[in-house]
Amino acid sequence: MAEDGSTGLLSYRSVNVSERKNSMESVINVKSATRRFGTLVAVNGLSFEVKRGELFGLLGPNGAGKTTTINLITGMLRKDAGEIWVLGRDPKTDARAVRECIGLVPQETNVYADLSALDNMWHHAALYCKDLSGVKERIKELLVLVNLWERRREPVRTYSGGMKRRLALARALLHDPEIILFDEPTTGVDVQGKHVLWDHIKEQQAQGKTFVVSTNDMAEADVLCDRLVIIDHGTAIALDTPENLKAALGRDIVTMRTTPIVEDAEALFAGLGIQAVKRPESGQLRFEVTNAETLVGELVSRVTASHHLESIRIARPSLDDVFLHHTGRALRE
Amino acid sequence: MTRFYLFLLNEFKLARTAIPIHMVAILQPSILFLFLSFILVHPTFKVNVSQPLMDEGHVLVEAMEQVGSPIGADYIDPIIVDSKELGDLRQIITVKERDGVPTAVQQYGLIDSNQVKNLRNRLTAAALHLWNAELKGRALSIKEHTWLPYDAPYTVYFGMALLPMAAFVAAAIIGGVLTAQDFELKTTLEYRLSPVSPVLILGARLVRLVLSSLLSACMLLVVAGLVTGFWPGNIWRLGGVLLTIAIMASCMGIILGLLFRSTIPAYISGLSLALAGWIFGGGFALASGFGGVYERISRLTPNAHAVELCFPAFYRVEIGNPLRSALVLIVFSVISLSLLFFTYRWRVTKQAY
Repeated sequence: MAEDGSTGLLSYRSVNVSERKNSMESVINVKSATRRFGTLVAVNGLSFEVKRGELFGLLGPNGAGKTTTINLITGMLRKDAGEIWVLGRDPKTDARAVRECIGLVPQETNVYADLSALDNMWHHAALYCKDLSGVKERIKELLVLVNLWERRREPVRTYSGGMKRRLALARALLHDPEIILFDEPTTGVDVQGKHVLWDHIKEQQAQGKTFVVSTNDMAEADVLCDRLVIIDHGTAIALDTPENLKAALGRDIVTMRTTPIVEDAEALFAGLGIQAVKRPESGQLRFEVTNAETLVGELVSRVTASHHLESIRIARPSLDDVFLHHTGRALRE
Repeated sequence: MTRFYLFLLNEFKLARTAIPIHMVAILQPSILFLFLSFILVHPTFKVNVSQPLMDEGHVLVEAMEQVGSPIGADYIDPIIVDSKELGDLRQIITVKERDGVPTAVQQYGLIDSNQVKNLRNRLTAAALHLWNAELKGRALSIKEHTWLPYDAPYTVYFGMALLPMAAFVAAAIIGGVLTAQDFELKTTLEYRLSPVSPVLILGARLVRLVLSSLLSACMLLVVAGLVTGFWPGNIWRLGGVLLTIAIMASCMGIILGLLFRSTIPAYISGLSLALAGWIFGGGFALASGFGGVYERISRLTPNAHAVELCFPAFYRVEIGNPLRSALVLIVFSVISLSLLFFTYRWRVTKQAY
């Protein structure tokens, strides 16, 4: 270990977490960004800012405009309107400088499958590292970090999906970028692999990296993100911490299945203050209510008076409920 | 320099991603030469002759055996066969009496006008032997003079004209496939976002392709030399000519990969381009030997100019206008390089689209 306590060449800036979270410095600023593909508006007046050291999420269903947003941030796509600033620079006019300080892990792992992890890392080093001295040690440190050092000489095609994503993360970190853009981190990765990857991301965030993660996995967004923007049809529909977004609903979610189906829920449960009645599946009734646990007896007695109650579930709101609340449909749809 | 070395190293390692393609691209010209030189451009025809029943038949066979090239290679190898053993479609020469006159009757299966022409020329030469024997003192003598310092088997020309194609095909195919593969593996994204200059990235790929290309040409040179016994005189000139072809082909290969973004079309188009250049660019005879429209088309290909510049290394005589040919190759190379950087920028590094 080095005298300064760092682990050698990987001298990440060790940032105090509370200091990081209190920092108000924005590293990414997106203001009313719009991007069209023909008649399709992929990103529609999207605005958000990402603060230094934050793990920021772009949550939305497939086709919501998450990847387009990432491509706008990297400068790979031109915005049709609005402003985008990365570390105070415009990705369009100052592309080179912006690209030096970002690391991108795309949705599809783009590695040379017939080459080894070492070969892929060296190639990335040649493409991105300003200074090539010390790269050998840095590659070793990163591959050890993502638990791939033992298999460093094996062709990447022999790796599992999770290992490939870890390699992609290690590669993106190689040139020590300030911001990591991670598009769908755990798509195609098994549950165990997901947790390992999440740990690595959290670890890097603790070292001071800023992450922008796009996902349609609510659990992932909930576990990982400090703040997130929920995007639908290219528009931001909510932006806050996962806790605040869920708390903002202020109500519990009641889901029940009855025979026959309850036709007029508002009339049946009149006076109980139910809101946002939906029928997500046939035979299923879903609504929001304040303090559901105190009303559960009343809910059951009213419904069983005229229907056969097959099941009832009372839950705290999830991010899916937040999405449903704002859009009227589930995130998975 | 370290960065360029790393790019170059990676380029060679990428051979692992397409080993069969590399083998085909590099070995193909040598195999093509061996195959065609033994089968299609062999100087001697084997000709079936029906077991002669008349004295005139024996005389014809003897005359055929005397027909040869100026450097002594046999042109006709008569094979005496029993005509009943041959199927209807086989070619055979039979000496029969027709209207009291001994007549050589040649029967064909499928009529191939080129083969008939070749056989007719050679049989005419055999007939001349017979005629001269009858004419005695008034015999007609034909002397063949080449305008080259010495005669060489056609396989020498064939091998020489294949050299530019060998240099072209390896780089065009490998370049196309590797570049298209980058799109298929999405590794182009790595290049697109890299702050490193495309000159370094493309430079490494070009150097690697040029080396593959020259390796293919060297292999053909050795194979052709071993088969024909003819070795080029001015190896530096030959190397310079092949280098320009290799640069052009490397650029074209990468451009095809960038345009098609899919390995199969890139492979097929690279191969087609190489074959077209070979066939139209003096692959079987000098462009100037044909003249007219064919020559004009031929001169649009770099191969025709390369063949003319390679010619003195094998035949010790300059043909055409070497300065003009050299200039054409240099201009083609510069245009190819410019097109490559333009296409790379358009397809890969264009910052926002």
